[in-house]
Amino acid sequence: MTSALTSPGWWRGLFYFLIGAGFGFGLVIALRAISGLDLYQTEPTGYPHIVVPAITGPLGFLIGIGCFDYWFRWCAGAPTIPDDHADHGAKTWKDYFKVNTDHKVIGIQYIVTTFFFFFAGGFLAMLMRAELAQPGTQIVDPGVFNGLFSTHAALMIFVFVIPVFAGIANYVLPLMIGAPDMAFPRLNALSFWMLPIAGALFLASYFVPGGAFDAGWTGYAPLSTGAPLGQSFFNLGVQFAGASSVATALNFLVTIITMRAPGMTIWRMPLLVWANLSTSLLVVAATPFIAGVQFMVLFDRVLHTNFFQAAFGGDVISYQHIFWFYSHPAVYIMMLPGFGIISEVISTHARKPIFGYRLMALALLGIVILSYTVWAHHMFVAGMFEWLRVPMMITTLLIAVPTGIKIFSWLGTLFEAKIHLKSTAMLFSLAFIVTFTIGGISGVMLGMIPIDIHVSDTYFVVAHIHFVLFGGSVFTIFAGIYHWFPKMTGRMYDERLGRIHFWGTLVGTWGTFVPMHWIGMEGMPRRVADYAAEFGNWNLMITVSAFILGAVQLVFLYNMIVSWRYGPKAGPNPWRAKTIEWQVSSPPPIFNFDEIPRVVGGPYEFGVPGARHAIMAGEEAEVKRPEPSRAGIGAPS
Amino acid sequence: MESASLAAGAHPDDHHHGPPEAHESSKIDRQTLGILLFIITETMLFGAFFASYFFLRVVANEGPWPPEPFELPVLIAGFNTAILVSSSFTMHWALESIRAGNHRGLKMGLVSTFLLGATFLFIQLNEYVHIGFSARDDAFGSIFYGLTGLHGAHVFIGLTLLAIASVRAFRGHYGPAAKDHLGVEVPGIYWHFVDVMWIIVFVTVYIL
Repeated sequence: MTSALTSPGWWRGLFYFLIGAGFGFGLVIALRAISGLDLYQTEPTGYPHIVVPAITGPLGFLIGIGCFDYWFRWCAGAPTIPDDHADHGAKTWKDYFKVNTDHKVIGIQYIVTTFFFFFAGGFLAMLMRAELAQPGTQIVDPGVFNGLFSTHAALMIFVFVIPVFAGIANYVLPLMIGAPDMAFPRLNALSFWMLPIAGALFLASYFVPGGAFDAGWTGYAPLSTGAPLGQSFFNLGVQFAGASSVATALNFLVTIITMRAPGMTIWRMPLLVWANLSTSLLVVAATPFIAGVQFMVLFDRVLHTNFFQAAFGGDVISYQHIFWFYSHPAVYIMMLPGFGIISEVISTHARKPIFGYRLMALALLGIVILSYTVWAHHMFVAGMFEWLRVPMMITTLLIAVPTGIKIFSWLGTLFEAKIHLKSTAMLFSLAFIVTFTIGGISGVMLGMIPIDIHVSDTYFVVAHIHFVLFGGSVFTIFAGIYHWFPKMTGRMYDERLGRIHFWGTLVGTWGTFVPMHWIGMEGMPRRVADYAAEFGNWNLMITVSAFILGAVQLVFLYNMIVSWRYGPKAGPNPWRAKTIEWQVSSPPPIFNFDEIPRVVGGPYEFGVPGARHAIMAGEEAEVKRPEPSRAGIGAPS
Repeated sequence: MESASLAAGAHPDDHHHGPPEAHESSKIDRQTLGILLFIITETMLFGAFFASYFFLRVVANEGPWPPEPFELPVLIAGFNTAILVSSSFTMHWALESIRAGNHRGLKMGLVSTFLLGATFLFIQLNEYVHIGFSARDDAFGSIFYGLTGLHGAHVFIGLTLLAIASVRAFRGHYGPAAKDHLGVEVPGIYWHFVDVMWIIVFVTVYIL
């Protein structure tokens, strides 16, 4: 037992969590005792004796589980011990529950954890739809409903969509660029372990006095500065998720810039790498804004500062400006990696080079730059500066240009291609193009000031965000998971179940979110537990569709779990793709490569005779032979 | 040729050899690039507080700034600024020393940088005690403590990094080759950032 408490792992993590939480609790009580205050401050917004342990406890857990062991030793200046790579790679399933520095293990840790939160958030959505099935009160009262939609959004955005892309890229990206691992493997592990903490904090808010945070995922002040204790858990969860996201983005940027294989110039990088480069630039520069503003809200709540208290010179609108300066770029953080996945899947399954490869990459960078100039289009009715409206409308509409370039390039890639419809990944990619285009068009509508004023805070907005976030991001996530499932597990998934999942998801998505446009136009307000009787039938249809959508995700879950265990062996390159990750075994060797491959051409040279993207270590010897056999040159199958 | 045949031969247990050396596709090393990117993040974190500052000062505030009856001790803060700026020079001295292989200069430079930084933090805390208003007194108090406190937290982080570098320097870890003193160079870059950021905070909060 003592060894369990001194060596890294869950027992020590739990132990240090208790120490950390106890320290935070004691600190607050001691400070309050010294200051001559009541020991326990239990105003709804206060509870410092719970808020501070909610920071120090998780930090203790991170130390205990072993994220910092190497660094502490390094900091103390102890003699260097050669790395035996003991924390690299997973031999049994138990290794996935430990701090691991292998990007492939971390990638799977990310994906499994985020999908846990996806199902948790999805369950909350089902409860919401059950409540909204008919006018009046069905299963929850309005207060609980506010908590449901707030936690649903927070879980889906901060601990599902954003990090699951980091998980997929974590697995695939180092392989794609021919790197043995990420640039900072230990930081990578720390990034992952902060993520379950963020999700746990969001969920823990259900168990504190006052219930779950209920000011929406946007947490606008002064609604959030006066909300009960749960809101502080939102503030803190966002900090952990944000820190995780920034650390991962730094890691991706450094990896992409400094660790590409010889011959991989920037114009030979696969578009997934370009997409993650762009996303990481957004994360690094935008995420601190939400960190800052959530700190201010927390200070207003717990320390009684006046950042957003208008009566004391505070500025309420400034919350929205600072919040959206992160959260608008954040919608591209949630979309650009998906663009990268779609490019990989479509090119591979259409057997054609990407149409306009360079413009695809430049369009990503264009979106990065433009996305910083559009934040106030979320605030047309907020009472902000009048003069800012029209410039923000223009920049918002401009974003449709690089996005349109991408859509048309995918269509150009598909044009006269041999499209393989057998793969579920390809089905999701094709559905993504259609659904996302519609979501994008409703985004252009919302960018126009008069329409925005008309449909502000209605279900039209809900329909738009779910078309781009579910029909957009989540479809790309499914495409990515299906596409790289054989690479990650070494086994094939069941295509028949995949197709059931696809068609159910497509029908469910459209059935749920298309009618929301109409009832939104008619004026049904969002974020309300009850509504006018005239919307009853549409809402019943939406609820039924949402239940189909929810139920069919269980098929996905079943398919993934069973195929991971019992699926037929996949072989290294079932899709006959060109990028480097498909040239190694499935799953890849523990250190990815024996020798770093050499890149000799573009990543999508399908149908070009003799074209190679990369030459792997073993193959080089074959090519060098005086009499090369033709078999050595053709694409491996 | 030898390496190719080595790669072709299967390793019976691949846990016993390490990863292949990554190809270096950029001249900049990972740690330096990492800290530069992290500084972008940090700058934007300050940016959030500066944004709040200007909203409170320009948009929400109508009278003079600082609003009545607040006053700021510009002279003491200016003196403190000089202390922090001088610590950048001692940091540079430490780095130049180890580049020349001078371990004594490295240790002296790191310790004097640490002491100057600690003096800055001490004077700032002293300023907080005697300034006569708290973070609860109007939005002005909130953003004053917000900005200077955020910076103070960064000084604290910088001091922690300097302490680590000092401990390692005293235990004989650094050398003149570029890759052997990254543990001095990287905290140094961060420390210069903390310095420059203070000049911006000082000019904004106390002078403008």
